[in-house]
Amino acid sequence: MKPALSVLIFTVSSGAGYGLLIWLLLFYLFSPDALALALSPDSLRTYFGLYGGIGLVLVTLGLLSSTLHLANPKNAWRAFNRFRTSWLSREGVFALLFYPAFILFAALLWFGVDATGLTATTALVALAIAFATLVCTGMIYASLKPIRQWHNNLTTPIYIGFSLMSGSLLYGMLYQYQFGKLPAPVFNAFITSLIVTLLLKLLYFWHIGKPDGAGKNRTTIGDATGFSQAQVRLMDAGHSSGTFLTKEFVYDAGALRLLILRRCMLVLTFVIPLALIIWGRQVGIPSAVYLAMVFMLGGTLLERWLFFAEARHVVRLYHGDQSN
Amino acid sequence: MKLGLAIDLDTCVGCHACATACKQWNTSGTIGPLTDQDPYGRDPIGTWLNRIRTYEVAGTPVAGIPVEGAPVSKTVHMPMSCMQCEEADCVTVCPTGASYKREEDGIVLVDQDKCMGCNLCAWACPYGARELDEEQGVMKKCTLCVDRIYDEALPEAERQPACVLSCPTSSRVFGDFDDPNSTVSKLTVERGGQGLMPELGYKPVNRYLPPRQHTAEAMDVQRSPMQKLAQWTNKLIQR
Amino acid sequence: MAKLPQFENHQQQQTKFTTCYMCACRCGIKVTTEGEEIRFIQGNPNHPINKGVLCAKGNSGIMKQASPAKLRKPLLRKAGTERGAGEFEEISWEQALDMLTKRLANIRATDPRQLAFFTGRDQMQALTGFWASQFGTINWAAHGGFCSVNMAAAGLYTTGQAFWEFGDPDWDNTKYFMLWGVAEDHASNPIKIGLKRLKDRGAKFVAINPVRTGYQAIADEWVPIKPGTDGMLALSMIHVLLQNGLVDEAFLVRYTNAPYLVVNTPGQQGDGLFARADNGEPQVWDQASESLRDGCLPDISPALFGEYHDGNGRPLRTVMSILVEKYESDEFAPQQAAKLCGVSADTIERLALEMAQVAFQETITLDIQWTDWAGRKQDKFIGRPVSMHAMRGISAHSNGFQTCRALHLLQILLGTIDCPGGHLAKPPFPKHTPPGIKPARDTAPNTPLASAPLGFPTCPEDLVIDGEGQPLRIDKAYSWDAPLANHGLMHMVISNAVKGDPYKIDTLMLFMANMAWNSSMNTANTMAMLREKDDDGEYKIPFIVNSDAFHSEMVNYSDLVLPDTTFLERFDTISMLDRPISEADAACDSIRQPIVKPDRDVRSFQEVLIDLATRLNFPEFVTEEGKPRYQGYQDFIVNHERAPGIGFLAGWRGENGDQHLRGAPNPDQWEKYIENECFFEYKLAPAQRYYRHANRDYLDLAVEAGWVGSNAQIVLEVYSEPLQKFRLAGRGLYDGPMPNDAQHQQRLSTYFDPLPFYYQPLEQARIDAAEYDFHAITQRPMFMYHSWDSQNAWLRQISSQNFLYMNRQRAESMGVEDESWVWLESHNGKVRAQVKLMDGVEANTVWTWNAIAKQSGAWGLAKDANESKDAFLLNHLISELLPAQQGAADITNSDPITGQAAWYDLCVKITPADPAETGAWPQFDPVNALPDQQASPDSLSYSTHDNVNIKRPLKDILMRGKL
Ligand SMILES: Nc1nc2c(c(=O)[nH]1)N[C@H]1C(S)=C(S)[C@@H](COP(=O)(O)OP(=O)(O)OC[C@H]3O[C@@H](n4cnc5c(=O)[nH]c(N)nc54)[C@H](O)[C@@H]3O)O[C@H]1N2
Ligand SMILES: Nc1nc2c(c(=O)[nH]1)N[C@H]1C(S)=C(S)[C@@H](COP(=O)(O)OP(=O)(O)OC[C@H]3O[C@@H](n4cnc5c(=O)[nH]c(N)nc54)[C@H](O)[C@@H]3O)O[C@H]1N2
Ligand code: SF4
Ligand code: SF4
Ligand code: SF4
Ligand code: SF4
Ligand code: SF4
Ligand SMILES: [Mo]
Repeated sequence: MKPALSVLIFTVSSGAGYGLLIWLLLFYLFSPDALALALSPDSLRTYFGLYGGIGLVLVTLGLLSSTLHLANPKNAWRAFNRFRTSWLSREGVFALLFYPAFILFAALLWFGVDATGLTATTALVALAIAFATLVCTGMIYASLKPIRQWHNNLTTPIYIGFSLMSGSLLYGMLYQYQFGKLPAPVFNAFITSLIVTLLLKLLYFWHIGKPDGAGKNRTTIGDATGFSQAQVRLMDAGHSSGTFLTKEFVYDAGALRLLILRRCMLVLTFVIPLALIIWGRQVGIPSAVYLAMVFMLGGTLLERWLFFAEARHVVRLYHGDQSN
Repeated sequence: MKLGLAIDLDTCVGCHACATACKQWNTSGTIGPLTDQDPYGRDPIGTWLNRIRTYEVAGTPVAGIPVEGAPVSKTVHMPMSCMQCEEADCVTVCPTGASYKREEDGIVLVDQDKCMGCNLCAWACPYGARELDEEQGVMKKCTLCVDRIYDEALPEAERQPACVLSCPTSSRVFGDFDDPNSTVSKLTVERGGQGLMPELGYKPVNRYLPPRQHTAEAMDVQRSPMQKLAQWTNKLIQR
Repeated sequence: MAKLPQFENHQQQQTKFTTCYMCACRCGIKVTTEGEEIRFIQGNPNHPINKGVLCAKGNSGIMKQASPAKLRKPLLRKAGTERGAGEFEEISWEQALDMLTKRLANIRATDPRQLAFFTGRDQMQALTGFWASQFGTINWAAHGGFCSVNMAAAGLYTTGQAFWEFGDPDWDNTKYFMLWGVAEDHASNPIKIGLKRLKDRGAKFVAINPVRTGYQAIADEWVPIKPGTDGMLALSMIHVLLQNGLVDEAFLVRYTNAPYLVVNTPGQQGDGLFARADNGEPQVWDQASESLRDGCLPDISPALFGEYHDGNGRPLRTVMSILVEKYESDEFAPQQAAKLCGVSADTIERLALEMAQVAFQETITLDIQWTDWAGRKQDKFIGRPVSMHAMRGISAHSNGFQTCRALHLLQILLGTIDCPGGHLAKPPFPKHTPPGIKPARDTAPNTPLASAPLGFPTCPEDLVIDGEGQPLRIDKAYSWDAPLANHGLMHMVISNAVKGDPYKIDTLMLFMANMAWNSSMNTANTMAMLREKDDDGEYKIPFIVNSDAFHSEMVNYSDLVLPDTTFLERFDTISMLDRPISEADAACDSIRQPIVKPDRDVRSFQEVLIDLATRLNFPEFVTEEGKPRYQGYQDFIVNHERAPGIGFLAGWRGENGDQHLRGAPNPDQWEKYIENECFFEYKLAPAQRYYRHANRDYLDLAVEAGWVGSNAQIVLEVYSEPLQKFRLAGRGLYDGPMPNDAQHQQRLSTYFDPLPFYYQPLEQARIDAAEYDFHAITQRPMFMYHSWDSQNAWLRQISSQNFLYMNRQRAESMGVEDESWVWLESHNGKVRAQVKLMDGVEANTVWTWNAIAKQSGAWGLAKDANESKDAFLLNHLISELLPAQQGAADITNSDPITGQAAWYDLCVKITPADPAETGAWPQFDPVNALPDQQASPDSLSYSTHDNVNIKRPLKDILMRGKL
């Protein structure tokens, strides 16, 4: 699939945004330590204002960026209509619902401060919606049967994993910035989400196989054309200077390059940030976490790019690919 | 009703008539215009609802391939337009509801006024049957010529998809797959018509009739090196 | 069912019928217009040719009408600018016609041959040929010489009908169909319709072709033959049939010259000619009377075999005896042929026996009463349901005439000519073998030719040469170079005229011919020749007039450009006097009528010709008082009579429009055609449909309609006596004109074999086959017509670049990768092309789609269009001359018998290009824009009305479940 920058930005930015907000809500609900609730109410406001604001900005930026991908954005509002069947529609609805839920929560916190049951309930609701939004975003891709690399049980968990992992690091970075330290719950959150995501991603790579279309559960050009027992080759695609289909679906980054980029991505996203965080903590260099965030951002973008670049829509088979 | 096309791979010569017939009808039809970019420049590209691809198919299990003689390969032309799938994910993924499947006849359509051009339906279609019109920003697809087949102002014989009317080898047949007596149903049974990639579960309605191979008998001759010129004798044949 | 909106406002639409001219197939179309725009072009279901279907081109007529390359106004090369620089000024029609009239009047009054008038892919040779005769120049021909004259000539000298546009397989009855060297052909839609019918009936379809695309893709058996060897394959099948005694002897006795007696006196004058009685009739040995008899008599029993003597004791042999001896020889054994053709001996034998099986064991009988040539009643038509079709894969080789004769011989031996299930002629064919017209030779100032410029020589006396044996025509047709050049040699005109060999001309007038590009051999040199000047600074071809409708490459090399209308803007006739649209069972012709008004200052060339003819005072075009006889083209078509009662249009003749085929002019004829959807169809009665070469009911009709001169039996010529006369001339044994140079003597004595034979294509015999180890050929794409369709925004999306297709295994063994660039080199030059690999091509053959490449800037395309930057033209590699040979004069790269251009004899070597070398080569300077040329649009969004969208109700969107 052709990686569209707007979609990459959308998934990375809103992924990190939701991750941040989810951690915020989770810590609020379950791990007050991490929230430094001991702070004065004023600082708490700044604290929530900063974290919540940044989270919302990222989420909103992502959503806006995703509308850039629309060829006819004036009809974007209609996207809420098919909640019944469309993951994209559902994502839209949840994304929209998240704002009032989170704002209500933030407002309660802002004005009520004390952790009444109502605040906690709204927090739970907002948390659920944020999570649902992530699930929907993941499912948009995971539900697409023609793309083997997307249509599997790992796509959504990985997307959520990336969101939580980048969100936790972001959280940690902001915390570091504000308070000059990385509290254990945040550290643990980061390490856990990182390891789980890494494992999922490795499993994913194993599952989809090498990015040369030769994976185990691939479909072949023979299956696509109905001559499944035969050796089929494209002789002529019928349109010599490309079509919408070739532009949209036939993206060739080269299998070797993709393999290298996979490794780079793993290093950028997982190895370096992990090392930096652990090392930073041990040696006590606070800025390590900023650096880790930079690598993580690059790695996540690359991961999303790979997610598209490695996705081989079955339509490619009709255009001559031997398998997907 | 389950309207769709049966396409005969045994007789399709890959002439592209159905593709341009489709283009000319539909550019002024309900889904039109079908725009073209750089039509006279480098790498012209445009919106088409029906495209023809050509494959070489090698290996014995396929009908129509001579067993001996190299290279053992058969050229097959494969026209592809929307299969009007029964389980059309292109429809379910559409967030705006612009894409829908008509209950009465199964035709899958796009309401262009409601489409936001997100491409998701094109991603969901395994058959490459949807194309985003770059200029208009909306999704286009085969309408099964809904604007011909129900137009009572047309002579009855012309209430057929443009591609079907035009195909010089009559390799495209339009009809109701729900009706076991329709030509398309009968052809499907007789010729073992297949839908493409059934494993994806879209239940495409269109059927492809696989290539056949007719053989002929060679005259049985006793061959002896003796019978040559000798056997030519004049017969009494009147002019 | 939910109510659908009204999609089309039919009240605002109009439908009209006319005839498609996106190619020469001439299908009937029904055009719906909305205002001045075309809504839809569809096939006319009642039309005999296409029966409602259309091809890819026909369906893209809208985009031809929308072409930015349409010429807008007459153009004159600017004074002081170079030809080919593309500097034109627009002039008025009056100026253009005045200027042209003056020039032509002068030529006509001095030496009419100084006008060479050649036409390309047109369909109005009856008019242009007549115009040339009236002008008085013998230098006229259409494109047949570079197209497929081999098919026409071989057919007309053998069976009186032919492949090409002259006949069709009996699609409805045939049980075995063999297709030789056809990618698309003129009968584009009829062949496709026919193949479907045939396949659905379960008939076997065998395709003989080095490439497996298009029609061959759907063949039941594909025979990947080595190019140029079909003659051997056919003759080897004949060998198999003969060895097994599998020929239709009754057919041979009754309908062919197989029993004729041939003089057998090698080395003497008269050898190989028929023994003729005093009345000139050929003799046969009648078994009943045991005597020599006039072979044309009915009710005799001619011997097919044997050796006899005539009254003077000269030894005679029957044609059949010669034939059997010849083809039974080992030279034609399948094992021998297999080596040459690349087709296994088993396959050759099996194919022959399959055909024999169908012809002789699966005979069909139609119980229809008919009358034979001798007036005898017959009660059935016997059909041998084997049929064939063949075209340029056969004809575009320098052995194509003899190869095509071999195919006809095969058909004849199987008895499949014009019988049910066999190969059927289309009226006005069959004609007598060959037709009785002789080519005009003499010219005189201000004097029409005594006969048509083109005809059918039967002996050296008929050649168009002077007393010294030098060619009289500019293209050297009907000279010793190409004695049976029935369609001229258009591909030699520019080259000969520039060399002044045989002489110089003043004006070259072209119509619908892109001679500066895809219809020339040796294109780059041709472009140079068009610019070549004499020492005095005058162009070697002083004046070039060109009627084109579009900004083609040729326009760029013209001095005066006459912009034509498009096919949707003009009146036109597709006449029985020309290449009619007849079907096997019906005589048909048709017209075009304007559908849209031109938005430019253009005139149909037909009108221009009538206008010029009148201005030039051609006898047929002015009355005794010097007044114009015809008020334009339509008037001419209605009132001009070729012979009493015979005109361009055969339908609705007679004062009241109630006579067909022959009748007085009918002033309302055009209206009648328009009423009848623009075509006329005269169905033959069932008794007239078969064996028409010997069918009295048919022949009488043909005489009445002016198709043939007499109702005498048309005897199929297994043995060609005319060829033997030329052969004798080559051997110095002819009592008449003979060539006096060794090259011509050798060519005549070698190639003019009265019985078909195989010889190596001429180019191949003069090059190093080990070095140039690939055959390079082109194929017609079904979706484009020659150069016409790169201007078509839809069609060029299908292909704006042609590739060089190579056999995968062969390419891989050479290290040539898919989509890499390679050099292709012939004895004449080199080009660079991008490769695509495929299985379905004979290993020693490479091929590409024809005429996709364009010169940068032409055809309304951007300068960097794929057609000019990536597409390549094979023509650069093909020379119009054979590779030079020591001691021999330059000679045309054509069939030595007919002068047919030998496009497909080309051999090349292939080497991978350097990885840095990509893109097509050679490249030429871009063609300049024409005055007032509008920029081609960056995008198109064609439609005749706003789309009527089918709205999905919001309720449905919100409420509907899954689907
Ligand atoms: N769409 C379309 N239709 C056209 C035209 C067009 O440009 N486009 N042009 C028209 C014109 S002018 C003409 S003359 C006709 C020509 O119509 P065709 O005869 O169909 O012409 P080609 O495309 O030259 O096809 C020649 C075929 O012969 C094969 N061939 C080449 N060499 C040999 C050989 O030695 N032996 C055998 N057995 N096969 C061989 C080639 O692979 C090819 O398939 O088409 C007419 N129809
Ligand atoms: N390499 C290779 N070369 C070949 C062949 C091949 O097989 N291989 N085939 C050969 C054969 S068989 C043929 S017949 C020739 C064909 O070659 P040409 O006869 O030259 O045919 P085209 O390229 O079709 O078109 C000639 C011109 O007609 C113009 N034209 C189109 N419509 C109209 C109109 O309505 N009015 C007027 N006045 N002009 C119009 C076009 O603009 C174009 O400039 O090519 C030959 N060249
Ligand atoms: S072919 Fe594609 S567009 Fe058509 S119904 Fe099926 S999934 Fe949808
Ligand atoms: S592109 Fe249009 S039709 Fe397709 S899913 Fe998006 S909104 Fe629906
Ligand atoms: S049915 Fe109509 S819209 Fe669909 S491919 Fe055929 S012509 Fe095009
Ligand atoms: S029109 Fe018919 S023969 Fe031609 S490509 Fe389409 S389906 Fe095949
Ligand atoms: S074959 Fe095609 S282009 Fe040629 S006349 Fe027929 S419809 Fe027109
Ligand atoms: Mo031709």
